Amino acid sequence: MLRGSLAIWQRDMLILRRSIISELVAVVAYPLTIYLAFGIGMQSYIGLVDGAPYSMFIAPGLITMTAVSAAYNESVWSLWFHRRVQFTIESYRVTPISVSEIVIAKIFTGFTHGIIKGCAVGLVIYAITPFRFPLEHLLQYLLFLIPGSALFSCAGIISGTVMDKPETIGKVEAVLVMPLIFMSGLFFPLSSYPPSVVSWVRALPTTALFEGARRALVAGEMLPLAALQVALSSMVAFVAAVYIFRYKMSE
Amino acid sequence: MQTAAIVTRSLTKSYGELTALDSFDLEVEQGSIFGLLGPNGAGKTTLIRILTTLMRPSSGDAFIEGLDSRSKGRDIRSMIGVVSQENSLDRYLTARENLELHARLHGMEKRLYKHRIDDLLELMGLAGRQKDFPDTFSGGMQRRLVIARALVHQPQVLFLDEPTTGLDPQSRRAVWEYVRSLAGSMTILLTTHYLEEAEQLCDRIAIMDHGRLIAIGSTQELKDRLSGATVYEVEFAGQGADHYAALLGSMPCVIDIKQVENKIAITLECWECLSEIVTALNGAPVRRISLQERTLEDVFISLTGQKVRE
Ligand SMILES: Nc1ncnc2c1ncn2[C@@H]1O[C@H](COP(=O)(O)OP(=O)(O)O)[C@@H](O)[C@H]1O
Ligand SMILES: [Mg+2]
Repeated sequence: MLRGSLAIWQRDMLILRRSIISELVAVVAYPLTIYLAFGIGMQSYIGLVDGAPYSMFIAPGLITMTAVSAAYNESVWSLWFHRRVQFTIESYRVTPISVSEIVIAKIFTGFTHGIIKGCAVGLVIYAITPFRFPLEHLLQYLLFLIPGSALFSCAGIISGTVMDKPETIGKVEAVLVMPLIFMSGLFFPLSSYPPSVVSWVRALPTTALFEGARRALVAGEMLPLAALQVALSSMVAFVAAVYIFRYKMSE
Repeated sequence: MQTAAIVTRSLTKSYGELTALDSFDLEVEQGSIFGLLGPNGAGKTTLIRILTTLMRPSSGDAFIEGLDSRSKGRDIRSMIGVVSQENSLDRYLTARENLELHARLHGMEKRLYKHRIDDLLELMGLAGRQKDFPDTFSGGMQRRLVIARALVHQPQVLFLDEPTTGLDPQSRRAVWEYVRSLAGSMTILLTTHYLEEAEQLCDRIAIMDHGRLIAIGSTQELKDRLSGATVYEVEFAGQGADHYAALLGSMPCVIDIKQVENKIAITLECWECLSEIVTALNGAPVRRISLQERTLEDVFISLTGQKVRE
């Protein structure tokens, strides 16, 4: 059944392999700049956050942020490009594979981009900063990173399916995606929010993702509810992405 | 009886208010090259999109090799090749990789598609450029690559939506050559708004406009459908044209007469009155009498009342 998905995913991986160096340089530059500016530059002004130096506080969030925004970006732009610019989706659709196979391939591509780029940033932060964590925490961290990347890849697929204009895609990213990432406890602890807001913020799957991921990586704590929330959200997003794409293709 | 390669019955497609395809009935014989001729906006692409299962009709039925397009989409897609109107090549894959991906989507095994792709690249004159990316290709080469891609899995029915639109005359002829070389091995449905293309390539032609079928037949049959009137051109050596134009113009079977210097074009009611003309021209310094061949353009004008919109 997934023969078509495999062929398309392998095509996407071939393209990624061809441009891996420039992709990685571009993707590492942004979180690293933030790390240097805030984690190092501002550290002495900020002091300890939640008992940890600020650079330690933001490091795991930067890895998570890289992974999920890479997943989102790859999915949204790739789907838009193949649908509206290159018409490759249409060339896939006249072969004996199903529309679901196409969208599943694209979801996996976005997911793979997220994981690879998240790992790359993790390695760079590990190599050039004093940020350290016990290796056994990694497994728990992946329980957040994997469904988190899948969630953002599916969200990207949905955006790339429903939006026909590139400027709309840019606006949605600025108004919705980036704020969601930045407000979910990446740069400051949730306790900074006024009590009336914090329960709303906590209800967001992105908050569960960033909060749970940091606790897992730094403290080895496991927040099962948060993990469940991210996992469920990614499943719902997956079903929605497949459904919306199929609907769009049936015109 | 042999099943027709393509059958449509009262096929209709509306986009909101606009009826792009209006109760369209068509039958295309297996192994033929069938031309769908119509101006821009006639509904050609809409028809192709329905036949290739990219779009559902609003009503009516379409069958490919006897398979219903509504329920047998996957089976249909495994035996059709599609060259869409827009070039849908993957510019991040080399020419060869474009064909390989397509073969894999058709479930072909590597050892099978490897040779097939070698042959096709050779046939389409692209073997030397197979490692290059398609955006370094000329328009004609890109078009040939798309055709090669549509042929990888050896389809039974090939759809070509305006295969030569936008190409220079030389590239256009090259594409015609390749299409001709496929004749007989599969059914080909091509759309075009070039009369010459339909005339050159197709066994049968359907003329359509505003979503409706206007006429269908071989080029010859369509030309015969023109009103009985025939046009002869008579060329005189030296003087005499003026005198004979006046003389012939007064004859009852001559509908119309036009003179350009020493040539006159005579429109006759029917070819049977030609002998009267010949008699009248007895002793005249005639250098040449010729029958003016009618083109599909004339057919199109007489059927739709307008020239083909470019
Ligand atoms: N997706 C669409 N939505 C609305 N109208 C469309 C759409 N596609 C085509 N049309 C209209 O349907 C008519 C037929 O279009 P088309 O099938 O592309 O014609 P052709 O291929 O013969 O040029 C045109 O008037 C066109 O504007
Ligand atoms: Mg068209």
